[in-house]
Amino acid sequence: MTDRDQSDNVTGNGSTDNPADLAGAYALHALSAEEAAEYERYLERSEQARIEAAELSDTAVALGLSAAPVQPSSALKASLMAKLASTPQLPPLSAPAQPAADSPAVTDAPPAPGAPLTAVPKASDATAPTAAPAAPNAAPRTSAGERAQRRWFQRPAGYLVAAAAAVALFVGGTFAGQAIYGNPNDQFADQQAASLAEINAAPDTQRASTETADGQEATLVWSGELGLSAIIVDDLPALGDDQDYQLWYIGEGGPISAGTFDSTGSGTSWRVLDGTMTAGDTVGVTVEPAGGSDQPTTDPIVAIQS
Amino acid sequence: MLDLMTAEFNLDAASTAPSKEELLARVAGGDEAAFGELYDQIAPRVLGLVKRVLIDHAQSEEVTQEIFLEIWQTASRYESQRGGASTWIMTMAHRRAIDRIRSSQAGRERDTKIGIRDLAVPYDHVAETVEVRIEHERVEKAMSRLTELQRQAVSLSYFSGYSHREVAEFLHIPLGTVKTRLRDGLIRLRDELGVAS
Repeated sequence: MTDRDQSDNVTGNGSTDNPADLAGAYALHALSAEEAAEYERYLERSEQARIEAAELSDTAVALGLSAAPVQPSSALKASLMAKLASTPQLPPLSAPAQPAADSPAVTDAPPAPGAPLTAVPKASDATAPTAAPAAPNAAPRTSAGERAQRRWFQRPAGYLVAAAAAVALFVGGTFAGQAIYGNPNDQFADQQAASLAEINAAPDTQRASTETADGQEATLVWSGELGLSAIIVDDLPALGDDQDYQLWYIGEGGPISAGTFDSTGSGTSWRVLDGTMTAGDTVGVTVEPAGGSDQPTTDPIVAIQS
Repeated sequence: MLDLMTAEFNLDAASTAPSKEELLARVAGGDEAAFGELYDQIAPRVLGLVKRVLIDHAQSEEVTQEIFLEIWQTASRYESQRGGASTWIMTMAHRRAIDRIRSSQAGRERDTKIGIRDLAVPYDHVAETVEVRIEHERVEKAMSRLTELQRQAVSLSYFSGYSHREVAEFLHIPLGTVKTRLRDGLIRLRDELGVAS
């Protein structure tokens, strides 16, 4: 740091306000979220800058590949593979060719848990990628990518129905909220699917898993930034018509109902919780009389702290 | 644009194993076996990079798990025409590692523990395949073509996870200078490594 490079200083001081100067820091992930967003706005305006950003990002990857490989523990792979079934996948960005009319059938009759998932329309099967977003950067889930995803989820319902179908298929299980809302409520299903995908795509997504009292795997996925969470449970036993599973946010003020759901007894059930999650809340599930209770009347079958 | 990556990864694709791009496409369709294969192919590179940034092994494995879950979740968003699967994954891996540093005290504690480092960390040449060693040496050589100040700035931000503002503070130089060094440094590396569109 003693051998200060004079020419560097001269150019540096003369160009602090030129957005193009952020190209290097951007590729190295050395910008704050705000700065990166600013640079991405600049990228949207400049083809030249987009090319530079892609090249410098590739250069950064070359640096990354120069790090000595490290063999992960075998436990890591095992744990990861076990999580796949309860980790919903995002549907492709370009609209699937599948018409929305097909989706109620799909959500009414979910595939068996082991059903082949390859039946889901893939991006490559879709017709011309009309909906391809103008994400300016090859980097995955940069904030530009995240914005593109959010934009996608703000799109009109027609597409979201298809998304709901895709998510339900990917999860390979039941759409939990459906049964208690009487007729299949497409709009509710859409909102649920969109919210779940949004949580999974959030920059601060976290998850915690535990087992229910009966030993089923339960996972809570949440984003503090969005104030949203979703619970995903495998093979949750079906309840009689007179009972529902009820969700609770349990914070300092005691339990607050976050909606009810049902399960077919096999496959994966999931439900995005109603209301707003506060960091540190515990999410609990109880069995309640059909329609839910004002306060929990039974011990929770599972409780997970966010 | 990805001649570099393609060339490198063809080296270890000696057999008829499916490419990472093919695997990723199958992962997007929910294929768990393809995911397992993709993991086997690239997890050591991912963990290698993450550990280079985070140092702590347990924490690095944790972040590696997050990265692979993100790969599983977002495989459908990978667009092969924008670049190779390795590039997509390694970019994601680096961003996740940096996010971890920024979001926790880990970064700060780590800094005080190890101090400033640069590319010349101890490197176990014995354990590596020829391909990996060639890559490493190529990058090292390219890094040596940078000015000392460019090299420091690039290394501090990429491997030590400093933001450009922190680099400026650390090196006691104006932010504008850091921006220029990072950009010029990467452009020089790009040219040395032959990364071009």
